[in-house]
Parts: sequence; C-alpha cells; structure tokens
Amino acid sequence: MMQTLLEPKMIMTILLMGTIVYITYLTKRSATASDYFVGGRSFGWFTNGSAIGGDYLSAATFLGIAGLTFQLGYDGAYYAFCFSIGLTLLAIFVAGPLRRFGAYTVADFLAYRFHSKRARLAAVAVVLAISGFYAAPQLLGAAQILSMFFGTSYEFGIIFTCAVMIFYVGIGGMKGTTLNQALELWIRLGAFILMVIAAIYGGLHYDKILAGISEFKGVIGDTAQYAKDGKDVSFDGTSWTGTGNYFPTFWQTVSMTIGLSLGTIGLPHILLRFYTNPSAKAARKSALMAIAIASVFFFFAVYLGAVGRSIFLSGTAEPQVMKDLVAGGNNMVIPSTAQALGGEWLLGLVIAGAFAAIFSNLSGLFIASSGALAHDLYATFVRKNNISERERVIAGKVSIVILGILYGTLGLMVKNASIGHLVALAFTVAASTFTPIFILGIWWRGMTEKGAIAGLVIGLLASMYMIFFTSTLPEFLQFKIPGLVTVPLGFLSVYIVSKLDRKVPADVNDFMRKVHSKESEAA
Amino acid sequence: MANEYTEYDYVAAGTIDVSELPPLDPETNKIMKDEFSTGFKLSLLYYAFIFAIPILNWFAPEFMFSRIWGGMTYSWFLTGIVAMAMAFIIAYIHTALYEKRLQKYQSSNGSSFGKSEGRDIG
Repeated sequence: MMQTLLEPKMIMTILLMGTIVYITYLTKRSATASDYFVGGRSFGWFTNGSAIGGDYLSAATFLGIAGLTFQLGYDGAYYAFCFSIGLTLLAIFVAGPLRRFGAYTVADFLAYRFHSKRARLAAVAVVLAISGFYAAPQLLGAAQILSMFFGTSYEFGIIFTCAVMIFYVGIGGMKGTTLNQALELWIRLGAFILMVIAAIYGGLHYDKILAGISEFKGVIGDTAQYAKDGKDVSFDGTSWTGTGNYFPTFWQTVSMTIGLSLGTIGLPHILLRFYTNPSAKAARKSALMAIAIASVFFFFAVYLGAVGRSIFLSGTAEPQVMKDLVAGGNNMVIPSTAQALGGEWLLGLVIAGAFAAIFSNLSGLFIASSGALAHDLYATFVRKNNISERERVIAGKVSIVILGILYGTLGLMVKNASIGHLVALAFTVAASTFTPIFILGIWWRGMTEKGAIAGLVIGLLASMYMIFFTSTLPEFLQFKIPGLVTVPLGFLSVYIVSKLDRKVPADVNDFMRKVHSKESEAA
Repeated sequence: MANEYTEYDYVAAGTIDVSELPPLDPETNKIMKDEFSTGFKLSLLYYAFIFAIPILNWFAPEFMFSRIWGGMTYSWFLTGIVAMAMAFIIAYIHTALYEKRLQKYQSSNGSSFGKSEGRDIG
C-alpha cells in the first residue's frame, strides 16, 4: 500500500487533487448568480485566457492528437490543424459582441435577441445535446485512464470522475472552475514542455525523426509478443508521411475542415467563458491568449506524436513502453513517450496532466449545462423569473448534482463507443446549430425568431442523422465529419426561414447598438 | 465595466416586418461595417491559406510531399508548424486593428463616451 502511494504517478495525482480541493475551498462562497454562473465577471485576460485554453484543450487533445499523429501520421497532424482554426474565428466574429451582451448563459442570447421563450427552450435542448455528446467521451477517457494506471473498473472511473465534478463545480461555481481550469492548463502544458525539452535533448529533432520514419518500411522487431494476432507490427513510412490514411478523399478532408474549424464557435462551454471577462476588450485579449496557448499546444502534440512513432520504430524503448505502444491504443502514446523520455516522474506528471485535461473540460461542460438547467429552465420557466439571487445559486448547485447523475449514466452507456466519434459529433452539432445562430444573430438584423429555431432544429437533426445513420445515405454523402453538408444547411435554414418569415424584433436596432457599441470598452 | 445583464420582457418589443425596420444609427452602422469588413477580409485570407493545404495535398502531392529539410515536407511544415503560428497571427492582427479603431473612436467621441441609449439593460 505504502509503495503504491509513493509511486510518482500517485504522488502527482494526489497533489493535483489536493490543489483542486484547496482552490474549491477558497472559492466556495458564491453570494450572487453572477458569482456562481459567470464568476462575478472578474477574471482578467491571463486567467480567463488560460481557462479558455483549459476548457478547449480536453483530454481528446492532450492525449488524442499525439495518438492520432502516431497512428495516422500526416492525417493525424491535419486533425490538430483543424482544431487550431476555431478559436481564431471565434475571436474575430463573436468574442467581443458576446461579452458586450453580457448574460449568464448561451440561451440568454437567443431569448434576449428575440424576446422568445421558444428560442430559449430550443437553445437549452441544443446546449444539453452538445454538452452531453462532449461529456460522454471525456468520462469514457477518464475511466480508461484510471483503469490503465490505477487498475480501477470502468464503472468506478465514471462514478469517481462525476463525484469530483459535483464537488468542485457545485461548490466552487464559475470562480472555482475558472481558477482550477487555468491551473490545470499549465500542468499539462508544463508536461508537454518538459517532454519536448527531453526529446530535443535526446537528439530527436523534428527533421531527423521525420526522415527516419518516412524511410522505414517493414516490420518492427520484438512486437509480436504484445500484438493480438501474435505477429510483428508492420509499418510503411511513406504512407504515414503522406495523406489519405484516414480521410480517403479530398471532399472528406474539406468536410472535416469545415466541421471542426466552425465547431468551436458553437461550443457552449467556450462561449460562456467570454461572459466572465470584465469587458469586451479583456474578452478579446483572453481569446488571443487562449489562441497562443492552443497553437503552442497543438504544435507540441503533433511533434510528440512523431517522437512517439520514432521511439517505437527504433525498438530501443523499455519492454513496458513497447507493450503499451502496441497494445495500449492511441491514448497511451503520450504516457508511453513520457516514460521513455523522462522515466516515472515525467509519466506521473503526464497522468496528472491527463486528469487535469478531463476535469478542466468536464467542469466547463458542467457549468454551461448547469446554467441551461438552473437559469434557463428552472428560473425562467418554472419560477417565471420570480426567484432570489440565493435561490438561483442553490438551483445551480442542485443542477450540478442532476448533471452528475445524467452524465454519469451517459458515460456508463458509451463504454464501447469511439471517443473521436463522439467528439466529432459534438463539434458537428455545434458548427451546424449555434455557429450560424451566433454569427447571423450578431451581424444580420434580418434574422427572425422562426429562422433561429429552424436553424437550431434542422442543424441538430441533420448532423445527428448524418453521423448515426451514415450507412443509410448515398455514398457521396457518407462523411466521417459531415460539416460540408450540415453547416451550410444550418446557415441556409436560418436565412431562408427568416426571409420567408420577415418578422424581426421591433427593437433589433437597440440590440445591435448594445452588442457592437464601443462604449463598454473602457473598462 | 460593461452593462450588467438584467431580466427582460418577452413580449414588450413585438415584431415588425423587416421592410419597416428603420435604418441603424450612422455610428452603430459604421462600427458594424468596419468590424465585419475587417473580420471578413481576415477570415477570407485565413481560409485561403487553410484550403490551399488540402487542395495542394490532393492535386500537387509531388510538390507538397517533397522534402524541405531532413524529413520535413512542405505539407507537414505548413500543417504542423506554419498553421499553428497562422492562427495566432490572424487573431493578433485582428486585435491590433481593433485597438487602433477603438483609439480613433475614443478620441473622436471623447465628449459622448460612456453614454448609453436605446435598449438599456444595465
């Protein structure tokens, strides 16, 4: 028992948990709904930028991008490229106006823009759908990591992770969540920086490893003992460094580029973060900070995926590392590479980083969904806005418990699902629903309530159908990420229905003045 | 600090036909046009870069997958290195241009700066 507790991975994980508990304790007092849902709008650009980075760079990014690069080569790097685009578009078109609008939830935007309860309800449904599709793979990843490194069961992993979320989001609210997210971001970025230094120090330079990989063709020695089929793993470096490994056609690549690049604009937990800044100016700087962090992060992730592949091909790593790289799947590439580069302590830091990534992303999803349940549904529809600040905060905390149970159940249901598939679904739904709504809602006065609801409903149904029932579609529409079809469909639905409806809110000019005014920039 | 959000009325505003919508006041109209125009141009530039990569990958693979140095190909260099820098550069240019416009706006509206009108929610 004592030996297990003294293992670096256990020490690092306990340190992370201890810090989470301490930060949560420090931020436990949320006197007002503003404190609870948007952290009192008190976070400067550095903290909020780090928290946005923490929210955006989930476990799928921390472990997944390097894993995909290790497995797919260039096509894996292309994934990282697509993920890197979204925050920039968000900063250009949405960040500033959204902060000037300054509400509590994503659904508030639609409700206020159209004075519509129906629009709020439709937005709540989409927020819960996107957050559910995003939360499920994060929980799946958490349970897998706990199982791999600490030998726990899948069910325990799900329950444990939900319990941690209920504790730190429920007690700390947006304040605790933001500070935890910012800290957690620097833990995993720190882990990546140390891995990159170790790799360069070990002579694994980018150009050199890519040359070695691209020239390799044949079987990798001593891997048969770990492979399921009992044969040595074979590898073709020319194919790995070229395109077409995962996306077999040009249009598949274009469709993924559209879906992933525009998906970020519609992710509720990312949009919500811009309400927590004190001003629109700080919101823009936060976005810039988050983009800088994400760019460095993606660059490192792709490089480390190639480093992992190079170490694997060299066959010089410890037997445990070779075993994990053969049998452990994509999620083991970063931990195994860390172990090969820096031993048990670096592995420990990476495991803490993986938990940090999961907690950080999940907490963002919990707080966004909590706003949808407590503020949008309970306060607006059940209490008809006749509710005190204190009751709002209590409703927020109760909704976190409900979400813990809901997401936990969802996590148990997706045990055998693909993490990448579910994340792609979340991005596609976001790109096809909230992205058209926010871009057109902020920049086009002609958008109507019916247009907005039509866009949300059609975008949601089309993206879900095209992902879950791909095989029923004609071959030319069978996209892995159907952004090429669903995103234009979302935009067109809003545009056409608005043009037919023609009934715009009478005070839309006041709304535009509010979200585009430069008066609030002085703060 | 920006205006704080308060509750709002769902029905008071009502709707009107889009053809009866009065034009935006000149100041908001100019801000929106300037903002959108800058954002749109930068996005076009960014997407031209973004889509150039798959187009060249699929239609000029012999060039894109030829080596620049060591095993680094043009395609890997653009996708794994330049693109990451590009995301930041575009956002940085946008923020810098915005700050410049804001300064200009603040100096030309010094007297009325801070006043709010219309649909006040704070």
